[in-house]
Amino acid sequence: MHRVKTILKAIVFVLIGGLLHYVLPQHDMARITGTEVIRQDFSKWNRLFFAQAESGNVEFLNRDVLFINAVVKKTYLLGFIQREAEGQMVYRNEDTGWIWPPYFKFDTRDLDGEAKNLISNAENPKWVVITHYGWRNRFLTIFPNAIAIKPVEGPDVRVIPWFNIFFFAFMTLAYFFARAMWLQFRERSVDPLLEDVGEAYDRVGDRVSEKKGRVRRWLDTWKSKGR
Amino acid sequence: MGLIRLLVFGFIGLSVVYGLVWVYSRSIRREKLEDKWAEMHPDGGDVNDRDAYIEQGMVEYHSGIRPKLILLVYVVPTLAVVGVLIATNWN
Repeated sequence: MHRVKTILKAIVFVLIGGLLHYVLPQHDMARITGTEVIRQDFSKWNRLFFAQAESGNVEFLNRDVLFINAVVKKTYLLGFIQREAEGQMVYRNEDTGWIWPPYFKFDTRDLDGEAKNLISNAENPKWVVITHYGWRNRFLTIFPNAIAIKPVEGPDVRVIPWFNIFFFAFMTLAYFFARAMWLQFRERSVDPLLEDVGEAYDRVGDRVSEKKGRVRRWLDTWKSKGR
Repeated sequence: MGLIRLLVFGFIGLSVVYGLVWVYSRSIRREKLEDKWAEMHPDGGDVNDRDAYIEQGMVEYHSGIRPKLILLVYVVPTLAVVGVLIATNWN
């Protein structure tokens, strides 16, 4: 039982961790090398990892999706430790619309213009910080969604993830608040109820054991006395 | 369409939170009043007086500012959405 509980906890932890890793914003130090429009024919495997049509448009089986190609600085530990190595990254550039994930992004075309304006080459690099969420997976053909592009002076600028700090602080507070609410509910509503039930149960139990005692005593009179 | 869905489901979700916080806040206040009564009357006091005292305290609680502050449950997320909307789309 204990082992099953541990495994269930681990599964929940991995699922929530994965969801947060997918949805929360991350920052890449990047150099934009180009932008493209490619028609995407979604499969049932990668449909989930693309957003819906832009909020003024109608949803169709396939559509053109804007992409941003970039060279990014590779990192360790979710972006906390920067490495010297560089790698390729492709971002999709899509409206998230009103629902999910809650970035309320409607400026896809403007962002495309910004990206085009910041294209640079290796000899004369213009470094930018690309804020994005999502995963890149080559087998599923899925891409992180770029949310914002901010020009920076160089590749060594330190980016502080304010939103994530605030988010986790809020989640911690919310957890303790929910716990306090639950404890209060238990103390004021559940425990008195259980106490009543427990007392009733004890009364019944007492009566039963009393009866049993009488029967036993009567039975005992039939036992042969030790001689 | 998406905006309407957000408003409807957001309102339902926040109403659940509002209801829970409302009950919780009342419960805390009632417990405080009970504790105060117990402090003033170590022997327990008259049951009817105690009920009247607590009811009076709850009426005062409802006319105070605290129950109105719970409305922030609706206000803060709305401001957050507007804030994110502006931060994401501002050029």
